[in-house]
Amino acid sequence: MTLTLAHYLALGAGLFVIGIFGALTRRSVIGILMSIELMFNAANINLAAFNRFLHPEGVTGQAFALFIMTVAAAEVVVGLALVLAIYRRWDKVYMEKIDILRG
Amino acid sequence: MIEHVWLVPLLPLAASLVILFFGREGEHSKMPYLGIAAIGAGLWISLRIIFDAALGRAVLPYEADWTWYSFAADLGGRPFIFDMRAGVLIDGAAAVMLAVVCLVSLLVQVYSLGYMHGDPRFKRYYAYLSFFTASMLGLVVSNNLIVVFAAWELVGVSSYLLIGFWFEKEAPPYAAKKAFITTKLGDLGFFLALLLTFAYAGTYNLTRLKELVGMGYLPPLALTLIGLGLLSGAAGKSAQAPLFIWLPDAMEGPTPVSALIHAATMVAAGIYLVARCYFVFLASPFAMEAVAWTGLVTAFLAGTMALVPYDIKRVLAFSTVSQLGFMMAALGVGGYTAGLFHLTTHAFFKALLFLCAGSVIHAVHTNDMRSMGGLSKRMPLTFTTMAIGSAALAGIPPFAGFFSKDMILEKVFEHSPAMFALLVLTACLTAFYTFRMLFMTFLGEARDRERVAHAEESGSAMTVPLLILAGLAVVSGWLLQHGHAFASFVGSGAAEAGAHAAETAGSGAHGLNPMVLAVGMTAAAMALIALAYSLYGGPDQSRAGRLKERFLPVFNLLENRWGFDAFFLALVDAADRLAELCRWADTEVIDKIFVDGWGLLTRIAAEISHLFDALFVDQAVDGCGWLSRDVAGRGLRSLVARGQVQEYLLYLAVGVSLFAILR
Repeated sequence: MTLTLAHYLALGAGLFVIGIFGALTRRSVIGILMSIELMFNAANINLAAFNRFLHPEGVTGQAFALFIMTVAAAEVVVGLALVLAIYRRWDKVYMEKIDILRG
Repeated sequence: MIEHVWLVPLLPLAASLVILFFGREGEHSKMPYLGIAAIGAGLWISLRIIFDAALGRAVLPYEADWTWYSFAADLGGRPFIFDMRAGVLIDGAAAVMLAVVCLVSLLVQVYSLGYMHGDPRFKRYYAYLSFFTASMLGLVVSNNLIVVFAAWELVGVSSYLLIGFWFEKEAPPYAAKKAFITTKLGDLGFFLALLLTFAYAGTYNLTRLKELVGMGYLPPLALTLIGLGLLSGAAGKSAQAPLFIWLPDAMEGPTPVSALIHAATMVAAGIYLVARCYFVFLASPFAMEAVAWTGLVTAFLAGTMALVPYDIKRVLAFSTVSQLGFMMAALGVGGYTAGLFHLTTHAFFKALLFLCAGSVIHAVHTNDMRSMGGLSKRMPLTFTTMAIGSAALAGIPPFAGFFSKDMILEKVFEHSPAMFALLVLTACLTAFYTFRMLFMTFLGEARDRERVAHAEESGSAMTVPLLILAGLAVVSGWLLQHGHAFASFVGSGAAEAGAHAAETAGSGAHGLNPMVLAVGMTAAAMALIALAYSLYGGPDQSRAGRLKERFLPVFNLLENRWGFDAFFLALVDAADRLAELCRWADTEVIDKIFVDGWGLLTRIAAEISHLFDALFVDQAVDGCGWLSRDVAGRGLRSLVARGQVQEYLLYLAVGVSLFAILR
């Protein structure tokens, strides 16, 4: 059996679903950040796979994947900074406690 | 020469404008000579026209006109070009009138050199005189009724300016206004006649109008109305009953002005207009009869009123009104020639009388005859000329008035003996009041010794015109009567052929023997002159005083001018009251009820609208706001926006999934 595009897409979808699930269910902000990373990586797999199977002579998809990794790193930096700020403010990092945006 | 006739009115007009705008004001201004030169040229042209016509070198009537303006119109689909033409129409009457106006104007202007000498507004006076002369000449020559009307009004304006010339005095401005407004009352009729003329005939050209009337193109009712309108205008300008009230007051103007305007020329404009439009009157017997009766009543009323005034100019003013009535009556009974003949002779001797009166006033500095008397020794020349003028006015042969007055009386007798009787009575009155004036002024004892002793004969600028006019007053009647010269000359022009034929035919058949009339009238006039002498001529005037005592109510009635002034004042008063009533109705009824009431109604409606707005509309708007903010907003907020980031993310995920599934 050879690996087809569908396999890769299935893998990306699985990773994405796991990421969503984590982001929606984790109580800790750290966990949510990690789940978001999973979703980024699911997108990266898709990009690389499309590049490999639909457009093998180019590298556009891989280049985009690299960009996304850079952006994800920057986003994590901001996220962790927010986590630190939240912790200093309220001494906790549980999402259900942080509801100052409630209407 | 006749082709230059358009210059006759335009030369004085030009002179007037030059004097007014370029002349230097002052007591020694040289400007008067310009006016005199212009009118002299006009006189030269008009005399040449008369001689040319008399010698057969020119054909009357002469007509020449130029397009004034034209425009295209659409008459129910038919294209039509209206061409308004203005120009000159010279018939016998116009030629005579031109010469009379120019001659009297020239003499008056020369006379004014002496009379108005030293007046601070010397230049302006001459500008006005020239302007008046130009307007009058324009009226005489024009062949277009609209131009005639314009000139007619300009004559009115000049008259206003000249009556009110000494405006710093109290009375003249009022007299000027009275004259202007009263004549405007008559002009209203003239204007309506013009409108009717155009509505029925579609032209203002006199020759064309005459053709149309001759063909019976105009309905009789329209002709009668036009005739009455023209008569109304003529009654205003020629001071006929009941509009004559302005003329006695117009004597407030300088005396030469009275002579020129209010005796010889302007007041003749009305008579001239009737004569000029004689074809209208010939076609309408009713209008003709109205003319005759207007003239008759005026002649009689004014003749009686002339019996009592003590102001020398007032006597002359009333006598002018009376004589204009004679002319009007003559025209009314078909005496076209007689009316114009009297107009001509009257212009000469009445101008003479006025200028003599001016000479007397210049010498004694008063108008009041009670302060005169015995002036014949001090002013022999003035006395002689004035006696000639008076004899002409009274109708003593062989002076001018005798011929023209007899001609009128003959015509009136043919028409109606009753009218004749009244007119004879008026003629007798004329003889009486004329010589009453003459005797009171010149004979008897000097009643105001101071004034009379300082009176001196006037200078040559004033006496030469007197002598010329006196000469004319002596010879003009005889000369013009001789061999029917005047009749054939005037008749050769635009005079109605029918009227002329009727005149010549009628005088033989059932007419009065002219000899009997002449002798009778002369005898009556002589008798009345003798009566006047016995009352006013002698040194003792107590008999006149006693007569006045005895008939005091009659005297008062005559001094109050038969109540005509009071009548018009009452009219004005009534108009004032009516205006007051209208004002009251306006402020109290219309303003209070309609205007204010409407405002109140609007306010009430606005209040109701406001209440409705506040109670229902605003509440509905507020309710919508409340519903969306307080009910729906707060509920939704507490339900959805709970501040849980993960819930938001869930909504997002569900939403995206739904898009993916349901696309």
